[in-house]
Amino acid sequence: MTKKIFKSTMLVSGIVFVLGLAFLLAVLYRYFDRQLVNELERQSSYLAQGVELLGEEYLQEFHEKDARITYISGNGKVLYDSAADAETMDDHSNREEVKEALETGSGTSVRMSGTLSEKTVYYARKLNNGNILRVSSTQYSVLTLVLQLVQPCLWILLLMMVLSGIFAFRVSKRIVEPINALDLEHPEENRVYEEVEPLLSKIHRQNRQIQEQLDSARQQQEEFSVITENMQEGLLVIDRYTRILSGNSSTWNIFKTKEVQNGQSVYSLNRGENFRQAVEKVLEGKHESSLLKIDGGFVQMIANPVVRGSNPVGAVLLFMNVTEKVEWENLRREFSANVSHELKTPLTSISGFAELIQGGFVREEDVKEFAGRIYNEAQHLIQLVEDTIKISQLDEGGISYEREMVELRAMSRNIFTTLKDTAGKKNVSLYIDGEPIFCNTVKTVMEEILYNLCDNAVKYNREGGSVSIALRQTETDISIKVTDNGIGIPKEDQNRVFERFYRVDKSHSKEIGGTGLGLSIVKHGVAFLGGSMELVSEEGKGTEVTVVFPKERG
Amino acid sequence: MATRFQRQLNELHVNLITLGSLCEKAITLSAKAIQSQEEELAKQVFETDRDIEKKERELETLCMHLLLHQQPVAGDLREISAALRMLSDMERIGDQAADIADLSLFIDKSKVQIPDIIGRMVDATVEMVTKSIDAFVKSDLDLCRKVINDDDRVDEAFNEVKEMLADMIYSQNMDAKAGLDLLMTAKYIERIGDHAVNIAEWVEYSITGIHRNNEHQK
Repeated sequence: MTKKIFKSTMLVSGIVFVLGLAFLLAVLYRYFDRQLVNELERQSSYLAQGVELLGEEYLQEFHEKDARITYISGNGKVLYDSAADAETMDDHSNREEVKEALETGSGTSVRMSGTLSEKTVYYARKLNNGNILRVSSTQYSVLTLVLQLVQPCLWILLLMMVLSGIFAFRVSKRIVEPINALDLEHPEENRVYEEVEPLLSKIHRQNRQIQEQLDSARQQQEEFSVITENMQEGLLVIDRYTRILSGNSSTWNIFKTKEVQNGQSVYSLNRGENFRQAVEKVLEGKHESSLLKIDGGFVQMIANPVVRGSNPVGAVLLFMNVTEKVEWENLRREFSANVSHELKTPLTSISGFAELIQGGFVREEDVKEFAGRIYNEAQHLIQLVEDTIKISQLDEGGISYEREMVELRAMSRNIFTTLKDTAGKKNVSLYIDGEPIFCNTVKTVMEEILYNLCDNAVKYNREGGSVSIALRQTETDISIKVTDNGIGIPKEDQNRVFERFYRVDKSHSKEIGGTGLGLSIVKHGVAFLGGSMELVSEEGKGTEVTVVFPKERG
Repeated sequence: MATRFQRQLNELHVNLITLGSLCEKAITLSAKAIQSQEEELAKQVFETDRDIEKKERELETLCMHLLLHQQPVAGDLREISAALRMLSDMERIGDQAADIADLSLFIDKSKVQIPDIIGRMVDATVEMVTKSIDAFVKSDLDLCRKVINDDDRVDEAFNEVKEMLADMIYSQNMDAKAGLDLLMTAKYIERIGDHAVNIAEWVEYSITGIHRNNEHQK
């Protein structure tokens, strides 16, 4: 800026200086020119008088320093010259001023010297005797004057430069300083000279615009992060070099790590082969979906490439924790395998016995026994199907049994009566402990629960063992505790005995009988009645199941 | 904007993780190979070892390239020089995993009972390698120290194995040849533990700028 101001001040002052100088020179020069001619005229009139009175001798005695005096006869011959020898001078009749003087009585002319550095002004006057008196004076030409002025001009130029420099520096400083001191955050509050005002209001407008854009961008960012933060699934965006661009907290939870800094490689989350291959593939631009095993859990990973043009520039990875799903899937498979096995076993026997009878391989007297076996197996099958139906009814909650007052002690006694035969075979003693307790409940479901608990307690007992029912009530709850000192349930199976068709000892289930659904019915029944249950068991020592019902409901 | 240099550093980092994970794979497989009859496992170990060597050469070239062309200083230089040292340790881990797999082919598992303690040793070593690579990935100083301390456990286990095998051979409970093979196996496992410690030390160096072995000189 300083340079520009300097240049323009220099230019302006330069032009003014040159023009002024030229104008001044022109005016002065013309003035002096006229002055010179006038002077020559005056001089010549004095001289003319002198010459007319005293003749040529007057001229010889007259000494004029500045002027050159020439006396010329009417025919052009030079009679006298103050600067040169008259004898040697040529004919002057055709000189411009002489010619003019001969015609009009006086004449002037100007002639430049050979080098143009000087000019000579001539004034000729015709005397009464017909001779011509010429006076001339020499002065410097404009060019010479200008050349003589060069040195002072240079000095002035130098001065001009220095002054312009100082001036430009100070002016630019005065312009720029307030601009530098502007508070651009609040442009409207600045007090600066008015030329800057439009700039300030423009900045103000743009500030507002930027602020609005920033706000909306921030809002979008926030919306996005709120959405991703609330996702159950892990979401991860990576670039072409496997660096993480962004990720949500579910991702860190799924990979069980602390939050990973953006810019780190995605391999710092997991470097398993499956994962690496999936990432490599997706960065080649292929959609990938794979199941990862992380810390014993299962994670479904869906990877989509982000493609710009035809080049993959990154990828979006989605992670879902599918551990439960995979486990359920396994459980379901096991269940269907169990149920088919349980259903098939009696059917195979029935079909086998029937085939034997049909083929006539059974003696007449044995048919009865075989039919008995078929009957038993069919009964077992019916029991199985009934149990399954019961569970699904409890499961669905679709049944609506009427609640009624039931006396639990009497109910227990009835159940023991039913189980007496089975218990008798193994010499298992049955005890009931507790006062009669009345309870408002669904009779069939309650019966089902008690029966199955006692049935199991008897079935999985040993020779000479015992089963006891303890009935207790508090102000709010009723608890039924069925205890046996039978074979117990191993620790690892305790969580699973409530699953349908789950058998602890699969090889001996046939001898003991049962459907594998008993405890499952208990579990669903208790849930149906809004109670809770607890199972404590030690392998080889016995099992204790406690069922608790809230009084107002149960 | 990532400069070319930063991109190459990142590439080095990512590839080191990959190499580390290959090492984990190799020793996990070789650990299985000792305990099972399957010869397929040993072959997989050899294959992984070849992958490791290939990757190691590739990364060595990358490191050299970075050192010569970019002339890194301070932290970057530390990272690259530590990477170079880690590379050779990882390559050794791959070799030793292959050696273990090779030995496993000579041990007739149907006749020789593999002592439990070798299994425990293998598990501890696999864990050490995993931890040392984790430490590198996460720049975690605590993990580095854990790995360095864990080495004592493996060393002690090796001594125990040595004495046990000596007793067994002496009392003629074990075929001497198989016993020696097992001893070699144990030694290789112990060496892998040492390499894991080296890796951890270099990770520590690249973070702090101080290497354990030089601490006393300061």
